Amino acid sequence: MRLLLVEDEPELGRRLSERLRGADFAVDLATTADEAEHWPDLDKMAAIILDLGLPDGEGLDLLRQWRAARVDCPILILTARGSWQDKVEGLNAGADDFVVKPARFEELLARLNAQFRRHAGRRDNVIEAGYLRLDPLTHEVWLDGAPLVLSRQEYRLLHLFLRRPGQLLSQGAILEDLYDLQTERELNTVEVLVGRLRRKIGKDRITTQRGLGYRLER
Amino acid sequence: MREAEPREVAPSGSLRLRFLLAIALWVMLGIGGIWFSATRLFADHVEQSYHEELEVHVHELAMLLRLDDQGNPILSRPLSDPRYNVPLSGFYWQVTVNGKAPLRSRSMTRGSLDDSIAYSPHVAHMVEDGPTGPTITYGLLRQHPDGGDVHLVIATDEAELNRLIDSFTRELTWWLMALGALLLATGIAIIAFGLKPLDRLSLAIARLRQGAANRLEGRYPTEIAPLVSDLNAYVRQNGEMLDRTRVQAGNLAHSLRTPLAVLTDEAERLAAADSTRASASVLLDQTRLMQQQIDYQLARARSSARGQTPGVASHLQTVITPIIRAMRRLHPDREFSIVEHGEGDSTVPVDPVDLAELVSILLDNAGKWARLAVTLSLERNEDGRLIITIFDDGPGMTDDQIAHACEIGTRFDPVMPGSGLGLAIAKDIATSMDAILHLARGRTGLVAQVILPVVHA
Repeated sequence: MRLLLVEDEPELGRRLSERLRGADFAVDLATTADEAEHWPDLDKMAAIILDLGLPDGEGLDLLRQWRAARVDCPILILTARGSWQDKVEGLNAGADDFVVKPARFEELLARLNAQFRRHAGRRDNVIEAGYLRLDPLTHEVWLDGAPLVLSRQEYRLLHLFLRRPGQLLSQGAILEDLYDLQTERELNTVEVLVGRLRRKIGKDRITTQRGLGYRLER
Repeated sequence: MREAEPREVAPSGSLRLRFLLAIALWVMLGIGGIWFSATRLFADHVEQSYHEELEVHVHELAMLLRLDDQGNPILSRPLSDPRYNVPLSGFYWQVTVNGKAPLRSRSMTRGSLDDSIAYSPHVAHMVEDGPTGPTITYGLLRQHPDGGDVHLVIATDEAELNRLIDSFTRELTWWLMALGALLLATGIAIIAFGLKPLDRLSLAIARLRQGAANRLEGRYPTEIAPLVSDLNAYVRQNGEMLDRTRVQAGNLAHSLRTPLAVLTDEAERLAAADSTRASASVLLDQTRLMQQQIDYQLARARSSARGQTPGVASHLQTVITPIIRAMRRLHPDREFSIVEHGEGDSTVPVDPVDLAELVSILLDNAGKWARLAVTLSLERNEDGRLIITIFDDGPGMTDDQIAHACEIGTRFDPVMPGSGLGLAIAKDIATSMDAILHLARGRTGLVAQVILPVVHA
C-alpha cells in the first residue's frame, strides 16, 4: 500500500518513512505544501499522512483542495497542534483522523489501519477472502487456517489483492501500489512476485488475463 | 455576565450623595440668608413706617388741639385715622393739661397712658404699657398759653406691628421653603442628568464583563471620553496580549513536540533491542510525561488566560454544531445527536475556544466509550443557567472511577487511545470559566454535565 507522508521536519520525516516502510507500506515523502499539492499520482495513494504547519503553506488548505478535487483516500492529520479547535477544523475540512505529535508508532499504525478498515466498509481489522485471512496490524497471514510465511513484497501484493478481491489489477497498478516514486520499477518484477505468491497460496488462485493483468479469485 | 465577583475597591461614599449634600447645604445657606435678611429688612421698614406714621399723628394731634374757655383741651376735629375712634382698637391718644383730667381718644375706653413720655418739645418714643398691652408710645410737650405743660401722647399696640412682621415672615418662610424644595429638585435633576454618562459607562462596563460587547460602547462627554478611550485601548491591548500569549504558548508546545516525536521514535527503536530495552522504557515513560505536561500546562495557560478576559461570549449552537460534525467524522460508528429543551438566547459569557475545547473533550470521551449513541442536551435550569449534558450508552464509570476521573493521567483503559488528560483539562477549563463540571452514572453510561455561568441582566 502506498502512502504519501507530508512532513516538513527532515529528521521526523525520514524516521516516519522508515518505520512505515518497515510496516510494509510504500512511502512517498513530501516536505512542502507546494510539493504535496503537485504530487503526480495522488489517486494511487492508499492514505495520506499530513502535517498542518508546513513552511510554505497551511496543511488545512491543502486538505481542502484535495477534498474539493475528490481525493477520497483516508487523510490522517499528524501535527504538533494539539488543541481541539485545530482538530475540529481539521476534521471538518475533510480529515478522517487527527493524531497529535509525539505519537507512538503503534498508535499511528492502528489509526491508519482503522481508516483502511473504515474506508473498505469492514468492521474487523482482519481481511478475509474465503480461504485466506490477513491481519494488517500484526502482518499475519493464514491459508485455510494455517499460518503462512510471506516475504515483505509478497505480503504487500497479497494485501493489495485482498483489498480488491475479484478485481482485475494491471501490472502498472500493482507497481504503483507496491513501490514509491523513488524506487525503480520493472514490469517483470510483478510477474516474478505473482509467480512466487502463486506457489505459496495455490497456482489457480491468481489468474492471468493476458495483456490486462491479474485477479485474485474469490 | 459571569457570577457577581467581590469588588476589589470598596466605594468611598457616593458621588451622587456628595453632590446632593453640597446642593442641599448651599440651598439651605442661601435660603436661610435670604430669609434672615428679608425679614430684618421688612421689620426695619415696617417699624420705620410705623414710627413715621405715629410721629405724623402726634403732630396732627398737637395741631388739632385747642383749649376751651375753661382751659380744658379739645380737638378742633377728630384725628384723620378712624382707628382712634374704635374702642380698644390699639390706637390711642391722650392729652393732659396742667394735671387736669386728661382728654383721651374714644378708642381708649379704659386705662391710661404715661404722660412722662412727653417731656420735651421734641417727639420722644418708647414702649410702655397701654390699655391693651405693650404700646409704642410717642410723646410731645407743648407749653400752655397760660403757662404750664400740655402733654400729648399717641400710642399704638406693639402687637399690631408684630402681627404685620409675623404675617410677612410666615408668608416669606413658606415661599422660601417652596423655593428651596424647587432648587433641591432641580439640583437632583441636574445630578441625575450630569451623572447619566457615568450610569451609561457603568452599563457599558457591565456589558463588557458579561461578554455582550467586546469594548465600551456609546458616546460620552468630553470629560469622560478620554477615560473610555483609554479603557477600550487597555481592553484591546489586554486581549491582543492574551492572544499573543496563547500563540506563543502554542508555538512553544509545537516546537517541543516535534523533537519529542523524534525522541519517542528513537526510544521505540531502542526498545526493539534486548540490550537497550530497559533504557528505552525509561525514555518512553519520560517522553510520555513530558507530553502530558506540555498538553496540560498549555491547556491551563490557554484557559486561565481567557477565563478572566472581559468581552468574551459564546453562542452555544455556533460552538457546538461544528464539533458535532467533527465528532461524526471522528467516530463514524457512533450516532451523535443534539436535543434542545426550551428556547431563548443561548449566549454564555465564556470564551468560545475554551467552550469548544471543553465540549470537544467531553464529546470525544463519550464517543470513545459509547456503544452506539452519544446525545448532547441543552437546557436551562431554574436559575436561568444553561446546562450542557452529554450522555453515552457505554459502560459508564463506577463511583470510585468518577471520583478520580479528573486527576491528571487517569486512564481506565490503557488500550483506548488518549493521554489521560482530557477530563483533567476539562475540569480546569470549567473552573476557569466559572462553570461547574459534574460527572455521574447514567442509566446506561456516563453523564457529563456542564453548568455554564449565567448572563446577568
